[in-house]
Amino acid sequence: MSDASATTGLSWGTAWLIARRDLNARFRGLRLLLVCIFLGTGALAAIGTLTASIERELAASGQELLGGDLEIEVWQRDLTSDEQSALGEYGEISGGYRLQAMASAGDNAAPVELKAVDDKWPLYGTLDLMDGRETGAPGGTEAWLAQGAMDRLDINVGDTFTVGTVTLTAAGVIENEPDRLSEGFQLGPTVLVAKDVPNNAGLIQPGSLYQSKYRVAFENTGENPEVVEEALSDAFPNAGFDFRSRDRASPGADRFVRQMSDFLTLVGLAALVIAGIGIAGGVSSYLEARRNGIATLKVLGASSRDIVRIYSLQIAVAALIGSAAGLTVGILITPLLGLALEGLLPVESGFVIEPAPLLLAGAYGLLVAFAFAAAPLLRARSFPAMALMRSRIVPLSRDKRALIATGAGIAAICALALITTAQPLLSGGFLLGAGAALIALAALGLLIQYVARKIPRPSSPLLRSALSNLYRPGAPTGALVTALGFGLASFVLLAAIQSAIDGNIQSRVPQEAPDYFVLDVPRDGEETFYQVIEDRFPDAGIRAVPTLRGAILAYGAEGDMIRVADLEELPEGAWALRGERGLTYADELPMGNRVVDGEWWSADHNGEPLVSVDAEFAEAVDLEVGDMLTIGILGVERTARVANVREIDWESMGFNFTLVFSRNAIADAPHNLAATIELPESDDTGLRGELLRELVREFPSSSVIEVGEVLTEARTLLEQVGLATLAAAAVAVLAGLAVLMGAIAAARAARMYDTVVLRVLGASRRQILAMQLAEYGLIAAALAVVALALGSGLGWVIITQLFEFDWLPAWGEVLAVLGLGLAMVLAFALGGSLPLLRAKPAQALREL
Amino acid sequence: MPVTKLSPAISARNLTLTLGSADAPVDILRGIDLDIAPGEVVALLGPSGSGKSSLMAVLSGLERATGGTLTVAGQDFTNLDEDGLAEARRGRIGIVLQAFHLLPTMTAAENVATPMELAGTKDAQPRSMAELEAVGLGHRTGHYPTQLSGGEQQRVAIARATAPRPDLIFADEPTGNLDVGTGEEIVELLFARRAETGATLLIITHDRSLAEKCERVITMADGVIVSDTSEIRGAAE
Repeated sequence: MSDASATTGLSWGTAWLIARRDLNARFRGLRLLLVCIFLGTGALAAIGTLTASIERELAASGQELLGGDLEIEVWQRDLTSDEQSALGEYGEISGGYRLQAMASAGDNAAPVELKAVDDKWPLYGTLDLMDGRETGAPGGTEAWLAQGAMDRLDINVGDTFTVGTVTLTAAGVIENEPDRLSEGFQLGPTVLVAKDVPNNAGLIQPGSLYQSKYRVAFENTGENPEVVEEALSDAFPNAGFDFRSRDRASPGADRFVRQMSDFLTLVGLAALVIAGIGIAGGVSSYLEARRNGIATLKVLGASSRDIVRIYSLQIAVAALIGSAAGLTVGILITPLLGLALEGLLPVESGFVIEPAPLLLAGAYGLLVAFAFAAAPLLRARSFPAMALMRSRIVPLSRDKRALIATGAGIAAICALALITTAQPLLSGGFLLGAGAALIALAALGLLIQYVARKIPRPSSPLLRSALSNLYRPGAPTGALVTALGFGLASFVLLAAIQSAIDGNIQSRVPQEAPDYFVLDVPRDGEETFYQVIEDRFPDAGIRAVPTLRGAILAYGAEGDMIRVADLEELPEGAWALRGERGLTYADELPMGNRVVDGEWWSADHNGEPLVSVDAEFAEAVDLEVGDMLTIGILGVERTARVANVREIDWESMGFNFTLVFSRNAIADAPHNLAATIELPESDDTGLRGELLRELVREFPSSSVIEVGEVLTEARTLLEQVGLATLAAAAVAVLAGLAVLMGAIAAARAARMYDTVVLRVLGASRRQILAMQLAEYGLIAAALAVVALALGSGLGWVIITQLFEFDWLPAWGEVLAVLGLGLAMVLAFALGGSLPLLRAKPAQALREL
Repeated sequence: MPVTKLSPAISARNLTLTLGSADAPVDILRGIDLDIAPGEVVALLGPSGSGKSSLMAVLSGLERATGGTLTVAGQDFTNLDEDGLAEARRGRIGIVLQAFHLLPTMTAAENVATPMELAGTKDAQPRSMAELEAVGLGHRTGHYPTQLSGGEQQRVAIARATAPRPDLIFADEPTGNLDVGTGEEIVELLFARRAETGATLLIITHDRSLAEKCERVITMADGVIVSDTSEIRGAAE
C-alpha cells in the first residue's frame, strides 16, 4: 500500500527541489533566454540610467548652466534702464554682452568669441582657471582666455593682446566656464572680459551685431520663471526679448536630450521586442528539449500545475539571473556611453545608480520573460503524458489560455512603456509598428509554408526534404522567419542610421564654403574692405550685404494683423517669430533664391516699403502677397507690405535671410555690413595671415569667423552624435544577433534527426549541405526584402522624425551589411552541422 | 482510496480508445473487458499494433479511454481528467518503460526520489538510496543516466517504480532494449521487487518465455483480447 499523502499539487518548496535538480548548473538550453533577457534588460538599464542622470543633471544644475534663474537676450542694444529695473525687482541681476571679435598679438590674429560680463557674474557657480583659481569676472583690462585663443595668439599668461582698440592682459586660462552649455555653438574660442571692454574697444556701436544677456537670481527661490517671463513680456511687448529659464537652461542641450532620450527609448523598445522574440524562442526550444523529461515527470505523477510550477521556477531563475546581470552591466557601461556624449551633454562621470530606471528595466525583463514564456509553458502543461511522448511528430496544439496569458503580458508591457515614457505617441507608434511587423512576419512564415506545400514536389530527395522541412508538422518556419526577420532588420537599421548620419555630415557641412565670414564691416568702409582683400587676392570672391537685427511684432492682412505678443503658442514651423532675426535689404533678388509668388521690386523702388518673405515661413503663418508685416528694430516699429514670397536654398553656405526688405524700408536704421570672402586655392598661409592682420588693423570693430574651423567643429559635433547613436543602436544589433543565433540553433537541433538519417541512407555531406543551403537560402531571400523594409522604416523614423536630419542612407552600404547578415545566417546554419557531417554515420547515430 | 484485497486491482468494462482525427479515426482498443486481482502477475502478449501498449497506457492512467469504464486500485478512472489521473498515479502506480525514460539531468538517486517527492513523501531521499541498494546500485547513486549502462538504467527505472511501494506496477517491454543476459537479470529483479512489495504486476512483452513466468497471460490482437489463461484455467477447473 502506498503511503502517498493526498495532495492536489506540489508545494513551491518541492517544485523548487525538482526544478533545481533538473536545472543544469550551466543553464544548458536556457542560454538564449539568459542572453536575451540580459541584453534587453542591460540596454534598458543603461539607457534609462543615462537619460535619467542627464535629465537630473540638467534640472539640478539648471541655475549654474544658465548662470541665473532667468535670462533675457536682446540683439544690438542694451536693456533699457526700465527693463533692467523691472528685471531687478525679482532679485540680483548680472548683465553683459556676447559678440564676435578679432584678437591680435604681434603678427598673430584670431577670431574669438568675446564674452563681456559684469562683476556679479557668475550668479551661480564659479569659473575655474587652469592654475586652480576659482574666480568670477576679470577686472579692468584683464582677460581670461580659452586655451584655443592662447594657442592662436601664441601668448602665455601675463602677455598682452589687443581686441578692437584696447590692450588686454591674458591673466588666466579658462578650465571650466559654468554657463558654457547655455551659450550654444561657438564660432571661436572664448575671451572673457569685463563688461565695459567692448564699449572701450569701440566694438559696440549703433548697428553692431552683438547680443546683450541679462540674468537674474531670484530673491524668492520659489518664484516661477515662467510667470516672471510672462510678466516681463506683458510689460515690454515690443522689446523682442528672448527668454531662457533655469528649467531649459540650454535649449540646444534640452532638445538634444529629448532627441537622444526618444531615440534611446526606441532602441530600448526595439531591443525589448527583439529580446522578447528571442525569449519566446528560447523558452520554446528549452521546453522542446525537455519534452521527454516533462513526459517522464507526468508519468511519475506530476500534474499540469506541477509542471508549470517546476518549469516556471527554472525560467524565473534564468530570468532573474539574466536581469541581474543586465542591470549590473547596464550600470557599468553607462560611464562609457557618457564618455561618448561628453561635451554634448552634461553627464556625470563615473557610475550612477538611478533606482527608477533600473527598477523599470528589471520589471520589463521579467514581464517580457513572463509574457513570452507563458505560451510554451501552458502548452506543455495541458497535454497528456502519452501525447507528449508522441509529439515529436505531432505538434502541440494551441492553448487558449496561453493566448490570454501572452496577451495580458504584452498588454502589461505596452502599458508600462506608455505610462513611463515621456513620448507616449512615439512609443505607442513604435509598439504598434512592431506589432504590425510581427503580424507581417508571421503571415510571411505562413505564406512560405503555403508556397512550399503547393509547389510540385521535386524529384531530388534532398530538395524534397529541404522543401518539406519548411511545412512539415512542427516545422519551426514561423519562429525562424520572425527571429531572422527582426535580427536582419536590426542589421539594416544600424547600417541605415550610420550611413544616413554620414550622408548628413557630408551634405550639411558643405565641402565648398567661403573661407571667412566678416561681421560688422562699417557701411562707409565697404570700398576699403574690398581694397584690402583684392590687394592680396585679386581673384577673391567677395559678397557684402547689409545686416540688421529685429523682431517680427505683427503680421497678417492689412487692418487685421496678428500681434506676436498676443499669440499663446507659436504656429508650427514659425520659429522666425521667436526673438530677433537677422534682416537685410536688397535691390535685387539674392543669389540662390527664387520668387514663387508675387514679383521682385525694381532696383530704384521708392514707393511703399516692401518685404520679401521666405516661402516656408509664409506658409507657417499663413502670410500672403499683399499682407502686412511689422518689425521692431532698435525699439522702432516699421511696417512693410509683402511683395513676394521666395524659396531659399538654406543648404548653400552664404547669407540667407527669412525677410529681405526694400532699401527704403529699413536702410535708414543704423547698421553695418556682413561679408563672405572666398579666397582662391593657395598654400600661402602667410598671405592669409597678413590679410587677417590687415583687416583687424583697418576694421578693429569688425570680426572675422574662420569657416574652416567652424565647419570642423560642426563636423566633429555631428560625428560625436553619430558615434553615440551607433553605440546605442549596437545594443539592438547585439540582441538581434543573439536571437538570430538562437533561432538557427533551435531549428538546427530539429534538423539533427533528419541529417543523421539521411547520412545513414547514403547522402553525401555535400548533398546535405546543399539541402540546408536551399532551405535557409529560400527563407533568407524572402526575409531580405522584409528586413530591408523593416530596418529602413525604423531608420527613417529615427533619422527624419527624431533627429530631423535628411534621409540620406547609402543604399550600397545598407545592402552590403544585409548581405553580410544573410551570409552569417547561412554560415551559422551550415557551420553548426559540420561536426555531425564530419562524423561517421554510425557515430552520428549514437549522438542522436 | 484504500484498496482491499477483495476488490480487483483493475476492473475494465467495454474500454475503447480511438485516436486520429474525426475524418480518419483509428480504433486502437475495441471493447476491452478485464479484471486483474490484487497481487496478480500478468503478461500481456500480442503482435505489434495489437493495442497492448495502448491498453497499458489507459490502465495506468497515461491515456484517457474514449469509452467504457475503468477502476484501478479502487479508484474510478473513467471520469478523471489529466491532472486527476496524474494524482491517481502518484505513489500508487509504478511504470517501467522499454526506453527507461530516466531524467537525464538528475542522478540515479534523484530519479528514484522524484515520484516520492511528487507524492509528498517525507523521507524520499533515504528511501531512494535504500531502493538503489536493493537493486544492486548502491555504488552508483550519484551517477547520471548517461554514465550508466542500459541494464543499470533499467535497474534505476525499476527502483523508481517500486520505491513508493505502489499497488500496481506496469512494465512495457522492460527487456526490449537489453541483451538476453541482462534482460534475464532485469526480469528476475523485477519479479523479486514485486514479490517484496506485493504489488500487482502487468508486463507487456513479445517474449513468450517471459510470459510463461507469469501467473496469467493475456493475448491481444487488433485491439481486442483474444485469449486469457485465467479463463482457460477457470474453464478447466
